[in-house]
Amino acid sequence: MHDHDLDRRTFVQRTGATTGILALAGCLGTDGDDEDEDRDDPDNGDDAEMPRFPEIDDPPAAVYRPTHRESMRMLEPITAGEYTLAPMLSYPHPFWLITGGTGEDDVERVDPEQGRGVHLMITLWDDDTGIVLPVDTSATIRIFQDGDQIGSPQSPWPMISQEMGFHFGDNVPLEDDGTYTVEVELPPIPTHTTGDLEGRFTDSETATFEFEYDQAFRDQVVGGVEYLDESEWGERGALEPMDHGRDDGQHGDDHDDDGHHHDNGHVPDSALPSAEAYPGTRLEPTDGVDTDLPRSGDAAVLVTLLEAGSRLADGDEQYLLVSPRTPYNRVPLADMAMSVTVDREGEPVGDADGVALEQTIDSEYDLHYGASLPALQPGDSVTVTIESPPQVARHQGYETAFLEMPSLEFTVPEESDA
Amino acid sequence: MTLPDRSALSRRDYLRTLVAIGGATALSACVSESGAVDVPTGTDDPESLPARQHAWNDVLSRDDDGNVQSPEHHVLLPLSLVDEPTDAARAQVEDALRTLERAYEWSNEGLVFTIGYTPAYFDRFDDSLPESVALPEPAALTAAENPVFDEFDAVLHLASDHSQVVLEAEEGLFGDHDDLNGIAVETDLTGVFERLEEQRRSGFVGAGLPAEHTDVSGVPDSVPEDAPFFMGFRSGFIDSQATEDRVTIEDGPFAGATTQHIESLETQLRTWLEQDSHPMRVRKLFSPEHADEELVGDVGEKLTTTNGLTDERIDATEADARDGVVGHAQKAARGRIDGEPPLLRRDFNTVDGDRPGVHFLSLQHGIDEFVRVREAMTGADLDVGNANNGILSYIFVDRRGNYLLPPRSLRALPPTNPQ
Ligand code: HEM
Repeated sequence: MHDHDLDRRTFVQRTGATTGILALAGCLGTDGDDEDEDRDDPDNGDDAEMPRFPEIDDPPAAVYRPTHRESMRMLEPITAGEYTLAPMLSYPHPFWLITGGTGEDDVERVDPEQGRGVHLMITLWDDDTGIVLPVDTSATIRIFQDGDQIGSPQSPWPMISQEMGFHFGDNVPLEDDGTYTVEVELPPIPTHTTGDLEGRFTDSETATFEFEYDQAFRDQVVGGVEYLDESEWGERGALEPMDHGRDDGQHGDDHDDDGHHHDNGHVPDSALPSAEAYPGTRLEPTDGVDTDLPRSGDAAVLVTLLEAGSRLADGDEQYLLVSPRTPYNRVPLADMAMSVTVDREGEPVGDADGVALEQTIDSEYDLHYGASLPALQPGDSVTVTIESPPQVARHQGYETAFLEMPSLEFTVPEESDA
Repeated sequence: MTLPDRSALSRRDYLRTLVAIGGATALSACVSESGAVDVPTGTDDPESLPARQHAWNDVLSRDDDGNVQSPEHHVLLPLSLVDEPTDAARAQVEDALRTLERAYEWSNEGLVFTIGYTPAYFDRFDDSLPESVALPEPAALTAAENPVFDEFDAVLHLASDHSQVVLEAEEGLFGDHDDLNGIAVETDLTGVFERLEEQRRSGFVGAGLPAEHTDVSGVPDSVPEDAPFFMGFRSGFIDSQATEDRVTIEDGPFAGATTQHIESLETQLRTWLEQDSHPMRVRKLFSPEHADEELVGDVGEKLTTTNGLTDERIDATEADARDGVVGHAQKAARGRIDGEPPLLRRDFNTVDGDRPGVHFLSLQHGIDEFVRVREAMTGADLDVGNANNGILSYIFVDRRGNYLLPPRSLRALPPTNPQ
């Protein structure tokens, strides 16, 4: 159950419009001095030059359109072993951390500590398949200026944003203008991999890139902020994903349905294949739904049963594939914990406590949660329980969704070809 | 060696900085800053001292709850042998260390110290170490790390509540200083050992000390005022630590010894203190239940002699992981053996390299027990994202070393198979 009042109160409390505005103040300083930026001083936000992050009243407990499109500088992608990384830089801005549970206290708004610096984002993908890897790599980032390390190493947060999809990122405070070198260490990926990805990503790799932090950069990223029409703010919906590497930026929500987006400019999009691209028997939501896929906490959840003998299934069992994604942009929802229970004529089949679904990335079906199950029969009822919502940080527009995620009930259809 | 700007630092911070710098200049600056500290002298009677080098707990101070308090200042001096060990060299090392024992009371007010030897040191002997000693070469213990290993011969760990004492002891053993707390230095370690200065490590622990280091890059102003450790909480509760008996090797030629692991870590305090909330830090450091039930307090003051991990909370680790967050101590406690913590942790904060970190020093019966607990702490088996897996995403391992701390009777250049 969503508690709208609760969500609104939490949101307003954490979004104080001034915080957002002030967070940007340092990006605009013409002479680059913001040393004593006081984020708590509301007067600081009144400078007419400043982009505004106006407050949205009563955003839905669902994906919603934010006030603006973020502007960023794309750096040249770099390769490291099997991977390619695309670094992107924007101004430091608020984002939200998910802290375990599903309640009011489990979303934490993070404001930049200072306006000077960047919001650093990295999209990581597999060179062979072009799949963006929506995994918790526990990467380590070190930043250097003139050969000296600045600050401590940091592990960037896995994050989702409407424009960038799945990426890693964090705000990084920087004091001086100049050239910075970023070293990214990628340990082996612990996530279960299947298909052409099986046995891959077992080596540690290091990638290095440089960027320039100066007034021209600040002008570009701050000046490039595009506001949506005020009537759209907080409306259910999402910004179109950024068209990486191209500048028309004008494709609709329903972009290519053929699967992965390998050649969408030079940075692939993290979007999952559309529902039609998945084989097997699509399980029917027990309660009729008016969306293409049933929703939980506004996540669209595809549940399909792959027939016995599928390469993903153990032995002669079937494979239940659960693929949760954001509505509109099909951004994969990583780091969830889910389990499944099956009932036949009111009696539990197999383990009544449920079978844990394993987070997996597959070369064809991308990120999903799956388990092998002994043969299901038409009429069986299948309950997918979400033990924890995606523990990934959120950009604005995603922070009120995918939190409280009720379980979903399905029925195995009669004409099962499984 | 340039000294820090006295006027820019608090007195305690200045003293800490001097310990980090080391050397004769730092020592004289320290002496003039501290004035005449009354440091209790030691003993002429080596028999009156404990047989174990690591027997510190009985002589250290206690907090109000009765937990052992770590000395405030620490130095780890990596040592390299100049020549192969001889009986003369052994006698020199023993004499030099006895000088320290004569000069300073064996306590936090005076000086406690240990000397430990690496597997690289023991490699030079034909015989291998007896089976009762589990001392493998150091190895990487997590997928995310690529540490440098301590491959020198030995490490001397000096600890005292007085910065002046650790500096002076070091200068007495290696420098020109020939008077230690009124005792003449007749024998030092020069000629036998070389100090590897570029690998010298130092640190501090104590309520309020971390918050005095906000001048260091990477130490945010938000370090809690009263916290004894950088991450903001008390640690080392007596019931959550192994006893000295538990970590002591009882059998074989090294009876009375223990093993030591030193893991040097960098810590990311900015995201920890500025992005995570207090309840989140409690969840990640202790357990989700510690946060939900408010068991910890601002800096751990609500906990008394234990970190509050019941068997139930420890058993809940896997389930908590699936619910989204698991605590560092909760995970690590899965490594307990028959319900007892196998590690005696004597870790301390550092700003070596001008960045915040921890020298995680731990004593245990054998290195295998350290590995067991470290694996439990890493929790690679847990179904939880890295960022919510205890404190993993805030710590970055730089170095590892394994050591044998022989009993006092064998602390001077021991062979692999003493009689
Ligand atoms: C920055 C580094 C670290 C910090 C800030 C830290 C902090 C803490 C804190 C606050 C506790 C709970 C209080 C207590 O029992 O003392 C704890 C417990 C513990 N930590 Fe750490 N720790 C760190 C690194 C490590 C490492 C590298 C290990 C290696 C195995 C470790 C092993 C343990 C163990 C075994 C416990 C107690 C578990 C039990 O009760 O059985 N810690 N730590």
